[in-house]
Amino acid sequence: MAYSQEQEPGGGRISGSLEGNANFFMRDSLIGAANTPQYDRQLYGADAWLNLQYSNWGFDIGLRFDLFNNSNLLNPTSSYTDQGIGNWFVRKRINKLGITVGYMYDQIGSGIIFRAFEERPLLIDNALVGLRLTYDIAPNWVVKGFTGRQKQQFDAYRSIIKGFSLEGFVTGDSTSTWSLAPGIGVVNRTLDDASMNSLVSALRFYLPEDIFVPKYNNYAFSAYNTLHAGPFSWYVEGAYKTKDAINDPFGVTVISPDSIIIGDKFINRTGSVLYTSLSYAAKGLGITLEAKRTENFSFRTRPQEQLNRGLVNFLPPMTRVNTYRLTARYNAATQELGELAFQADARYSPNKKWSFNVNYSFINRLDSVKLYRELFTEITYKYERKWTLSGGVQIQNYNQEVYEFKPEVPIVETVIPYIDFLYKINRKKSVRFEAQYMLIGDDAKAGAKQDYGDWAFALIEFNIAPNWTFTAADMYNVNPGKNSPKDDSGDGLSLHYPRFDIFYTIKSSRFSLSYVKQVEGVVCTGGICRLEPAFSGVKFTVNTTF
Amino acid sequence: MKRVLFSLVIATFMFSACEEVPPEVKPFVVDPDDTSGIQTQQRQVLIEEFTGVRCVNCPAGTQAIQSLLSAHGDQLVAVSIHAGFFSDNYPQSLYDFQTPEGNSLLAYLGEPLGFPTAVVNRKLFDGEQDLQLGQSQWPYFIGQELATPPSVKIDITPEFNAVTRVLKADIDLFIEENIAESDVRLSVMITENGIVDYQLTPDALISNYVHLHVLRDMMTSYDGNPLTEPLVDGAEISRSYTLTLPDGWVADNCHIVAFVHFGGGSKEVLQAHEVGITE
Repeated sequence: MAYSQEQEPGGGRISGSLEGNANFFMRDSLIGAANTPQYDRQLYGADAWLNLQYSNWGFDIGLRFDLFNNSNLLNPTSSYTDQGIGNWFVRKRINKLGITVGYMYDQIGSGIIFRAFEERPLLIDNALVGLRLTYDIAPNWVVKGFTGRQKQQFDAYRSIIKGFSLEGFVTGDSTSTWSLAPGIGVVNRTLDDASMNSLVSALRFYLPEDIFVPKYNNYAFSAYNTLHAGPFSWYVEGAYKTKDAINDPFGVTVISPDSIIIGDKFINRTGSVLYTSLSYAAKGLGITLEAKRTENFSFRTRPQEQLNRGLVNFLPPMTRVNTYRLTARYNAATQELGELAFQADARYSPNKKWSFNVNYSFINRLDSVKLYRELFTEITYKYERKWTLSGGVQIQNYNQEVYEFKPEVPIVETVIPYIDFLYKINRKKSVRFEAQYMLIGDDAKAGAKQDYGDWAFALIEFNIAPNWTFTAADMYNVNPGKNSPKDDSGDGLSLHYPRFDIFYTIKSSRFSLSYVKQVEGVVCTGGICRLEPAFSGVKFTVNTTF
Repeated sequence: MKRVLFSLVIATFMFSACEEVPPEVKPFVVDPDDTSGIQTQQRQVLIEEFTGVRCVNCPAGTQAIQSLLSAHGDQLVAVSIHAGFFSDNYPQSLYDFQTPEGNSLLAYLGEPLGFPTAVVNRKLFDGEQDLQLGQSQWPYFIGQELATPPSVKIDITPEFNAVTRVLKADIDLFIEENIAESDVRLSVMITENGIVDYQLTPDALISNYVHLHVLRDMMTSYDGNPLTEPLVDGAEISRSYTLTLPDGWVADNCHIVAFVHFGGGSKEVLQAHEVGITE
């Protein structure tokens, strides 16, 4: 988050930011934008965050006011209303000792064993409420210890989370081209009595062979290092978690040979993650290779929490972040119970006019079940400063049965060609056009196109610098598929999902007003995803820093 | 280097501890005693499961409720409400299990984050933010609720005419202790067991799934009918309701579920009771 800073005569600095969203809901049962409190009766929802930070006398003090009025962020099919102080902290440095109390965001290594973070689009706010101490034990070596509880809206979960890390930085003399940034970390979660009692009650109803004795305390350990050597950068992290009760959403309970139940079930497992990333960066060329193996690494503040709630850690996603509307429609949510993933990304720019990008992602379950494949290509040509043309194709395989819990659906196969054309009319005005077409595979069993079928998308954007941007876009269900809305005779409907936006930017403030019809889909931030119902209505947003 | 070692020693102390005393996890033993007679009636807890024929995870939730019913017998009363995101029937479905009352109850009790989901005694439990609870939380909170004696006892006398299909339900409430809450209500539901129809399961969409405890209709308003009499220890309150069972409902599989609950900011259920309509 960016802050501007204003100096006051007394030497203090105050800065802040405001983010506000207002949604006006317009019921459209044809596309599925219906049957939530907002569409049925509330008609309006809003959320806002006002962040203030003050620095003086060696202290940093922060305060955040959070507001939710009939908000659909916490649960997209429900309504959440509350307001209050969502975050505060006091930070002070006393020589080599750093002290923070209150709500804090932090992580160890890449976040595999601990990450306290915020993702507002999914209303994830996993701040740790507690105390953190850091101490510079030697030049370039820092130890950190923390203890606290995880935030739960305007309350906190009861489990205690404490952690420790030691991080350093080692390099040769001033002419050396190498450096090391090693670290180790450990995190402990102590389950509260109520959560343990609830867990024990659930286990008592299990079949004798499935019952286990859970632990109050579990530990996660991690060792990591970044090596820089010339144009190469290599990060590696290994993490291990002691036995812990974790929820398996595909758990199998065999009541009898004829009665097998598949569903939520606690299992008692140790966990591990191995993650590595190797990058090469030279003039005009950048290559990144990544690999990750995850096994039973669900780490929650209590095992009863599911989906994106109560996450103590964060497993890095292994797919590229797609930004175009259709290329971003199918996302691979990180599978914390087990996945083997690889990603390669190469960028090459031989000169100022041309650039090329190829990205490939491969994700399998540990039992070799195919989860996700993506090949993404992009070629960009810049003609002086007048126009830029980008284009390419994305090819995806997406295991909808696993990612969205939809039984008996085939692996979704898409091919999406796209173009993006930017034309600068003059110094102030420019126009941008983008178009994508999604060709989807057939669902032979259903006798129809997979999922929603084929889509076309087009967007035109007109910019008048520095203040105004206007966009008009439409997503059109060209060949409806198995899950597209149907007419009375059961035939799929070719529906339009238009969107119109006006953005106004002045100094550090940005306003937007949008009319949106949006098809249901999986929305992801990082590797964390959830199913979002269709949206129909008007959105107003404001963002400002001061 | 000394400081690094010192830090590691401190960290070791921070995270090393004696072996913890583990919790006791004993399999649940079924209590064979009949507790439903009005004299000996004990606390009877209501579990309202929200479900849908398109909810792939819900059969596992229903199975969990069956296990709980096996363990708690008459002390647990289950209702399956087909409402919300996954409840639209399939074109090939024989029945539409959605009801206006079920949809209203979902709005009244709040939408869940995920499925399976159920509301236990309509109570907001300590440490929870929603009435809707995930499957793994049901046993503990049911156990908590069963630990307190009932402040109301409920007797239901059904009268069903198989020719006219008119059902009359006489409900008698016996107040066991003074209830100070000003807004106390009675809700009466009709549920049906053993309906065979389509249901999405993790294996496939199957046509012969046996639906249990399906909410069919309510004899009161969806949020209950107010009890206006003073609710003092020893008071007896009676209500009668009638309803004509539509053709297609199997009377022998239908039940009357009555429960007394608050109607204000708290919606907590004080006592529930269930009888078959042909018993």
